[in-house]
Amino acid sequence: MTEAVWERREGAVTFRLPKRAAAVFALMIAGLTAVLVVSLMTGTYPLDVSGVLSTLFAEAPNGTAETVVWEFRFPRTIVALLAGALLALSGATLQNVTRNPLADPSLVGVSQGASLAVVSLIVAFPGVHPAWRPIAAFSGALVIAAIIQLIAMRRTGGATMRFILTGIGLAAFIAACTQGLLTYGDIDRAQSALGWLAGSVHAATWTEVGWLSACTALVVPFLFWASRPMAAIRMGNDAAISLGVKLRATRIALITLSVALAAFAVAAVGPLAFVGLIAPHIARRLARSGVGMHLALSAASGGLLVGLADLLGRAAFAPIQIPAGIVTAILGVPVFIWLILRTQSRQQL
Amino acid sequence: MNAAALPEARAGARVGWPVVLLAVLALAFLAHISVGAKTVPLFTVVEALVDPVDGEFDHIIIWSLRLPRAVAAVMVGAGLAVAGALMQGVTRNPLAEPGLLGLLYGASFAVVVTVGFFGLAAPSWIPLIAAVGALAAAALVWLIAAHAGGGSTPITLILSGAAVTALLAALVTLVNLLDEQTFEELRVWLTGTLAGRGVETLLWAAPWMLAGLVVALGAARQVTALSMGDETAVGLGVDVARLRLLILFAVVALTAGAVAIAGPMGFVGLVVPHMARMIFGHDYRLIVPTSAFCGAIFLLVADIVARMALAPIEISTGIVTALVGGPVFVWLVRTRL
Amino acid sequence: MAIDDDLTYQCTPQSGSSAANVGLIAEGVSAGYNGTAIVKTFDFAAHAGELTALIGPNGSGKSTALKAMARVLPVLAGKVSVGDLDVHRAHSRTVAQSLALLPQGPIAPEGLTVRELVAQGRFPYQTLLRQWSANDAAAVDVAMNAADVSQFADRRVSDLSGGQRQRCWIAMVLAQDTPVLLLDEPTTFLDLKVQVDLMQLLQDTAREDQRTIVVVLHDLNVAAAFADRLVMMKDGRVVADGAVADVFVAARLADVFGLEARVISDPESGRPVCIPVARS
Repeated sequence: MTEAVWERREGAVTFRLPKRAAAVFALMIAGLTAVLVVSLMTGTYPLDVSGVLSTLFAEAPNGTAETVVWEFRFPRTIVALLAGALLALSGATLQNVTRNPLADPSLVGVSQGASLAVVSLIVAFPGVHPAWRPIAAFSGALVIAAIIQLIAMRRTGGATMRFILTGIGLAAFIAACTQGLLTYGDIDRAQSALGWLAGSVHAATWTEVGWLSACTALVVPFLFWASRPMAAIRMGNDAAISLGVKLRATRIALITLSVALAAFAVAAVGPLAFVGLIAPHIARRLARSGVGMHLALSAASGGLLVGLADLLGRAAFAPIQIPAGIVTAILGVPVFIWLILRTQSRQQL
Repeated sequence: MNAAALPEARAGARVGWPVVLLAVLALAFLAHISVGAKTVPLFTVVEALVDPVDGEFDHIIIWSLRLPRAVAAVMVGAGLAVAGALMQGVTRNPLAEPGLLGLLYGASFAVVVTVGFFGLAAPSWIPLIAAVGALAAAALVWLIAAHAGGGSTPITLILSGAAVTALLAALVTLVNLLDEQTFEELRVWLTGTLAGRGVETLLWAAPWMLAGLVVALGAARQVTALSMGDETAVGLGVDVARLRLLILFAVVALTAGAVAIAGPMGFVGLVVPHMARMIFGHDYRLIVPTSAFCGAIFLLVADIVARMALAPIEISTGIVTALVGGPVFVWLVRTRL
Repeated sequence: MAIDDDLTYQCTPQSGSSAANVGLIAEGVSAGYNGTAIVKTFDFAAHAGELTALIGPNGSGKSTALKAMARVLPVLAGKVSVGDLDVHRAHSRTVAQSLALLPQGPIAPEGLTVRELVAQGRFPYQTLLRQWSANDAAAVDVAMNAADVSQFADRRVSDLSGGQRQRCWIAMVLAQDTPVLLLDEPTTFLDLKVQVDLMQLLQDTAREDQRTIVVVLHDLNVAAAFADRLVMMKDGRVVADGAVADVFVAARLADVFGLEARVISDPESGRPVCIPVARS
């Protein structure tokens, strides 16, 4: 019965890691690589594997291949994978801190807050450099998170369905603001905002890759650091304090982290729905593990999910491109429903 | 004796309300017509309605553009408000509403698909298609909620409604993207708007909404009993199963008519019945008719705001109702759940 | 960013050794919610090797007092100490190595196995780099054996019965390896047989490991049967404190709980038992 684990109990670094989780993670990395390669091959100008590989590592077969792979498909795929991973990490963090399996940045209004801020930026200052978007998104999402915290979390810490419902109401309100802004905005600018709002990676360039990687590199180490207190907070506020966690500060830090992760992803690809909800659950189904490994698995699942969604959206009805956000929503709702169905009644109020 | 007489006395004290509501409605209606890109004086509005003059520019605008829009606002507002009131009474769920429980998007999805793929654009068909879509979505939402952990509670209903709405919204966008030409017109309609409704659409939706309203008014007395619990209602001699079926018909017919006219106009069915309940208490004999009045007034005012707030740009009326409805929803979650 | 993690690794106290003779002392503690004191000038001492039961009617402040002593609630006034450690002032992680709390209704994260749950008790001894040392593994095994949950080690906590689950939580706080243990109504909602087994486990732990154990209890007879000392509270104050036989008398039950009951002595153990009196 005892599951296989790798352990190291002596020395400066000790750990305990279920082998299955490590194997699943390795498989996912392989899957991500496969998605990357297939994504580079797929499109109106199809390439075969050798074409892609030689473009990447040697001489491109021709100028078109060079442009298509390096200028369009590569940055786009990287942004998809990164944004998926960030959203998944955000969802996993939020679910752990609130102890609510339905917590997801797009469900509780955080993504919508980020969207509103970015759309305001696009409409009000069209000339501004896109690197300002993550900052705007972060501020907008943080304001919404603070409002949710104020309205819904005070008494129960967010574990209840009431927290999710409050988020749904708030999200509807913010979405309406965004819609109004789009109507008000200049039609050209609104068009560019509209494409972004559908949750699409198709306009991604190396600029997006650049600042998205920078944001990731900035935030993810904190998350790694925070994975331990997160494990204690999962067991309830009182238990966490008793285990020696500084609850208030840690909670605020974790929620801020979760908001930042979602905001950066939203700034790059728009409000991709349900990724933060599904990916952590996929990770949990595939392999049981501690919080740190679960975060890694969630990130990989999120990357895979958005990478595949983008691929599917490009290939399914080619030459029409379906935004990845539509695909993730269609994939995500059944999971959402499944989660509703198995929610215990004691969690409801 | 005294206690038993009290409700009668209170109802008596409210005899004045129909007059007030009617007056406010009339005022909102006239104001709605008078306001726009070119403001027409109230006097001219009344003149145009009572004694139209052929060839008079203002009168033409009023009869061809503004009057249909005002009538549409009245129909949609009243219809959705009554549908919401009925749903709240029957499900004993303060958050029940055609939009939140997926009916609006079910109806819209059905319309988008049939219009887009089968070319059934004739206004005569649209209410029926919308009704089928609303019914299917309602059934799906109810089915999910009924199988959830704690059974069909207000919370599971809203969550499954949100899930179904999210799926349908994604599918609608997908269909939209596949055939951009056909959907150019539908896209505006999908944000919930009262602009550009033809008289024909109104005429085809009217019988549906009228039937729904008649059933609602007829069943209102029994809804009051049902709102106190199934067992209480049975004890009071209500045939609960039959009543639920009737109400379902009324809700679907009202929703279908409203969607056919204005697309998915969210939150009207949530906000208005609560407003009515605050003023008129908990007797559905009063709530149903007053919700109809208040709904009409609410949507007339919302549409005035939608046209005036950022003039000369007009925003979708659905945006205005969501801006009001979102906070009301959050407030209800905080206080009623 | 105040995430609790210093990378300097401290020596882990071994089970039993550091636990000896360290008691828990509360002096003049006032605590409550939103600035309103529910517990007022609460003076309390619990000693090593003893099982101390906090009892009192609903709303008497017994759980609040326990939470204040466990620093889950801040104190409005007063001081709680374990040895020379000030519970509310010292570094939270240091306190967690001396004092453990089993709260009411703890939450088992989805899919966690018993071993993983018990391992969470090692949190205060672990760091980012040293997540699973030999000490941790040993302490978890000892705790699981003591709480008699080793046979479930790889089963999911959510699949266990209420009594088994509660034993797992107790194993978790035992794995925290602290001289002082606080438990908030650990027996609520359990069958009488399961309650008795749990209390026996706590009594044995207190005596054999020389630990200081404080339990908030609802059931008066269970408290009287297992506790070494009873502390009775009413309206946020301690009204009686002492050996079970001295505190558990009919007059006091009538006074504190408003309960009309006869207290008789169990002929075998000599422990008092209360029997409610029915009005005939």
